[in-house]
Amino acid sequence: MPTTLKTPEPLPSKIAVRDLNFYYGKFHALKNINLDIPEKKVTAFIGPSGCGKSTLLRTFNRMFELYPEQRAQGQILLDGENLLTSKEDVALIRAKVGMVFQKPTPFPMSIYDNIAFGVKLFESLNATDMDDRVEWALRKAALWNEVKDKLHQSGSGLSGGQQQRLCIARGIAIKPEVLLLDEPCSALDPISTAKIEELIAELKDDYTVVIVTHNMQQAARCSDFTAYMYLGDLVEFGRTEQMFFKPQRKETEDYITGRFG
Amino acid sequence: MTDKHLSSQFDSELNSISARVMELGGLVESQIRQAIHALSHFSMEAAEQVEQLERRVNRMEVEIDHELSTVIARRQPTARDLRLLIAFSKAIANLERMGDEATRMARMCRSIIESGAARSLPSSDLRVAADLASGLLRKALDAFARLDTKAAVAILKEDDLIDREFDGFVRKLITYMMEDPRTISASLDLLFLAKAIERIGDHSKNVAELIIYLVEGKDVRHTTLEEIESALA
Repeated sequence: MPTTLKTPEPLPSKIAVRDLNFYYGKFHALKNINLDIPEKKVTAFIGPSGCGKSTLLRTFNRMFELYPEQRAQGQILLDGENLLTSKEDVALIRAKVGMVFQKPTPFPMSIYDNIAFGVKLFESLNATDMDDRVEWALRKAALWNEVKDKLHQSGSGLSGGQQQRLCIARGIAIKPEVLLLDEPCSALDPISTAKIEELIAELKDDYTVVIVTHNMQQAARCSDFTAYMYLGDLVEFGRTEQMFFKPQRKETEDYITGRFG
Repeated sequence: MTDKHLSSQFDSELNSISARVMELGGLVESQIRQAIHALSHFSMEAAEQVEQLERRVNRMEVEIDHELSTVIARRQPTARDLRLLIAFSKAIANLERMGDEATRMARMCRSIIESGAARSLPSSDLRVAADLASGLLRKALDAFARLDTKAAVAILKEDDLIDREFDGFVRKLITYMMEDPRTISASLDLLFLAKAIERIGDHSKNVAELIIYLVEGKDVRHTTLEEIESALA
């Protein structure tokens, strides 16, 4: 399957992926991926299990480096700088490229500290500024009204949907440029899901958002661009409305209409 | 729609709607044929049959619309499924309107027969146009069933032919009316008949445009034939 350079249209790209190959040991998980993630837009990765969408997402903040047998070749250019060869501290890269996981992962500490913890690593704020930052992040994540009276209670006492919004608040508190969401709603009920989707729509005013989702309707609802991946190939990348109305490739159409099997 | 969904239930829902749309098309086609028969044989009986079929056509349109809403609500269709359901929904509206036009033709026939003034007028010219229009519907339904965009383009061309027939017929009627003002009343009936036939052609053309929308995802309404052909090239 040819995976040529796919630029949906001339939008400024925040992350440019060039000839990216990724291996889990001997397994070739991403095959020559070329992709431009547009700035301040929501880009969704869809595809069946094992297609490489989460793998691709995890290369964007070098999350894979935690595992010695995993390696990436090629380029991932964040504002033109190759993340894969960057000498920059990986913690600083992750401060720029934040991530939220499938299962809510609040730290075992208070709601307030969950957010302040990351901020303290990168900035030294006085108490008032830190209070402001925590409130800002919680408001941004549409959680403030629900937790403002219990900021010093444990984060794990929140509901699943609230915990996930807490994780998003934690992610944006350090003011990243890119936010990676790896199936952020798969463990949530429809109302919490709707709140997160609402939040994603608001976040894109300030951030570049990339979301991996198994829920195609979610990709249709909340993304501007959609990439369809299959067996490590990028099959098609385009504007979401086009992808869900008349995709260019039959493989894409078969998958999104449920003809895949 | 040959490829199967993971959900065979979804497939059978789509197939059932598809069959119903074609059945509706068949009903409307026989309505038009009866109307033509009424016109060419001045048959009251055929005219009444058209009006009876009208009730079935109307009922069927409502039923199919209901099935379409149900599938959309339950399946959240995308891509070609979405285009198919939208095309069905618009096609049945066009079919129902064609049925209305056939009914209008039947009523006109009835009024012409009752007035007794028919035989002196050029109604045979109308039969040619009416046959063209009913043939066009048959072709549109065939092309829809086979998702044939080439045939769809041919239908668009043929509709232009009906439009030209209509213009010629109107000129002829004007001549009759000027020659003998006593034919004005019956001529006006014929004019409305001709207009109904012309509208049937237009609705077939709309159905043909829907085929292009369904297959290519391109909306070719309100564009020229040249633009359509270059869009499909």
